[in-house]
Amino acid sequence: MNQRNDIAEEKITIPSEIRYVREISSKIIKELGSRNVGESALFDIKLCVEEIVRNAIQHGNLSDKRSRVRIHYRIKDGLFTIEVEDSGSGFNHNKVPDPTHKDNIFKGSGRGVYLVRRLMDKVEYSEKGNKVKLTKRLK
Amino acid sequence: MGLKTEDKNGLIVCYIDGEIDINTAPEIKKHFEKVLSKKAPKIVINFSKVTYVDSSGLATLVEILKSMRIYGGKMRLSNLSPKIKSLFEITKLEKLFDIAADEAQAISDFI
Repeated sequence: MNQRNDIAEEKITIPSEIRYVREISSKIIKELGSRNVGESALFDIKLCVEEIVRNAIQHGNLSDKRSRVRIHYRIKDGLFTIEVEDSGSGFNHNKVPDPTHKDNIFKGSGRGVYLVRRLMDKVEYSEKGNKVKLTKRLK
Repeated sequence: MGLKTEDKNGLIVCYIDGEIDINTAPEIKKHFEKVLSKKAPKIVINFSKVTYVDSSGLATLVEILKSMRIYGGKMRLSNLSPKIKSLFEITKLEKLFDIAADEAQAISDFI
């Protein structure tokens, strides 16, 4: 852990097991909470971190425990960023159906990626689609 | 997560205490399967003690609503925090669910 003034940064590698999702989000929320980040931003970050780490485990690595998820988060200069990379073949984020469309509104899945796009300030996918970087301003 | 159900003159009010997410969704589904098996015609879910909802939680609520609509049941949600209400607005699920400010309002809307 590199912690100096308001800077925090950590790289973590986890097995593809759902039980690590809350562990990761709790660690990040604890870091942010100690920096007086508002409740609304904490809620958004918890939700988005959990959605993308879970997606990496379930959809990226197909819950194969031998496959790893690499996480790199940083709190610096009033910004929170996190990169999550899985070992999968990637996906085309532009082809994720709009869950708010009338044909999809009753569907059970598809809201995670959409919520992340709406709640974060910036969402960037790698070309392959197996790595995503989220950025959120900490007001 | 805690779950409590009260029958108020034939109207079922469910109180969920804690998080509605991927971890609690199976227990919530199981609870509502039991409630819906009796074809409860009107259900209010009181969110006053709900602290967090994720996409799996939203999906679970949609499933419950779909199951109720099959037999003509009606559901209302009440006491949502502004943050949780905003998730319903962002995902446009506010169009699907009847959302009342508080439990009294949700009940009176049913009568």
